[in-house]
Amino acid sequence: MKETENIFLTLINQHRAIIHKITKMYMNGAEEQRDLFQEIVLQLWKAYPTFRGNSKFTTWMYRVCLNTALIYFKKDSRKVDKMPLDENIDIIDVNESEVKEEKLAYLYAAVQELNVVEKALIFLFLENQSHREIAENMGISEVNARVKLNRTKEKLQSIIKKNGYEF
Amino acid sequence: MNFDDLKNEWNAENPEGNNISTDMLKIKQAHTPIDKIRAKMKHEFFYQLFFLVFMAFIPYLAGFSTAINQVYLMTYAITCGFTAYYFFKFYLFYKNSYDMSMDSRKNILWFYYEMKLNVELYKALTYIVAFIAVGFLFAYLFIEQASVFARLLKKLSTAYILINCFVTILVIGAITELWAWFYYGKYLKQVKKVVDELDYE
Repeated sequence: MKETENIFLTLINQHRAIIHKITKMYMNGAEEQRDLFQEIVLQLWKAYPTFRGNSKFTTWMYRVCLNTALIYFKKDSRKVDKMPLDENIDIIDVNESEVKEEKLAYLYAAVQELNVVEKALIFLFLENQSHREIAENMGISEVNARVKLNRTKEKLQSIIKKNGYEF
Repeated sequence: MNFDDLKNEWNAENPEGNNISTDMLKIKQAHTPIDKIRAKMKHEFFYQLFFLVFMAFIPYLAGFSTAINQVYLMTYAITCGFTAYYFFKFYLFYKNSYDMSMDSRKNILWFYYEMKLNVELYKALTYIVAFIAVGFLFAYLFIEQASVFARLLKKLSTAYILINCFVTILVIGAITELWAWFYYGKYLKQVKKVVDELDYE
């Protein structure tokens, strides 16, 4: 048992960025992100016996993480903060790394306005998953995955634009 | 907006944070809707158990006649039988583990139908217990002819009694549905929303 626990911990610590990114996409506040993070780790641990090594660990991990996030409801009704980020942020004088961080910050803020399925689609797309892989993970057809993803990208673009940011 | 650039930056981002420790694996309480429903059903189990024990003392407290006492014991045994059957079903639901590594649609549909089935079972048990109670009340009125209620009943017209029975059934139905909705419905609604979003083409 201890050995299984150690192997599991080594594996999820190697890929814990996946959990961090999902929590940031699905939850807005730091406390809620921590709660979801904890829930994902718990569900990964509970589901670990189902991982038989037939697929890559990350493939299995994506599924458990996303399935947990899709049905996780911390509050009775999740209210999304739809306020755009500060429009007065000066993006001219900041260095490249800060610009990148800011881009991602705007992305995380914008995805809060997407529904849970759209968040999953964007997440898998950003994680370099092909349409076929997205379809397999979500349990929908490849055509449907492509159509949904394109719609979600358009929606995300318009949210970012509406929030006064362009990249 | 260039999604390829965004993708590169996304993949370059490496949120650090603390290492996941063994302590995090010791948490027992999960927060999926199904876990929430299970926790609520566990609470209800204790309330109902307390109610059943309390019911066993009603003949002593109410001072029933021998005839009505026999009817009461019969209805009590039937109530216990039905409750035990449904509790066994709920126990299976409580113990049934779920597989989070299925594809999202399969996983969410499993959650949805498992929850819906158990909420329907819960409603069925409530209806059964409520109708047994109403049945006992009628038996009481017919057997205890001398009681105040029975004398009052004799003064009422048949049509009035029938309308009252109909309204009683409607009220039981409405209370059961509303209670189930208030207590469990919100989780079902939330999961159904995800199912619909996945199925929307």
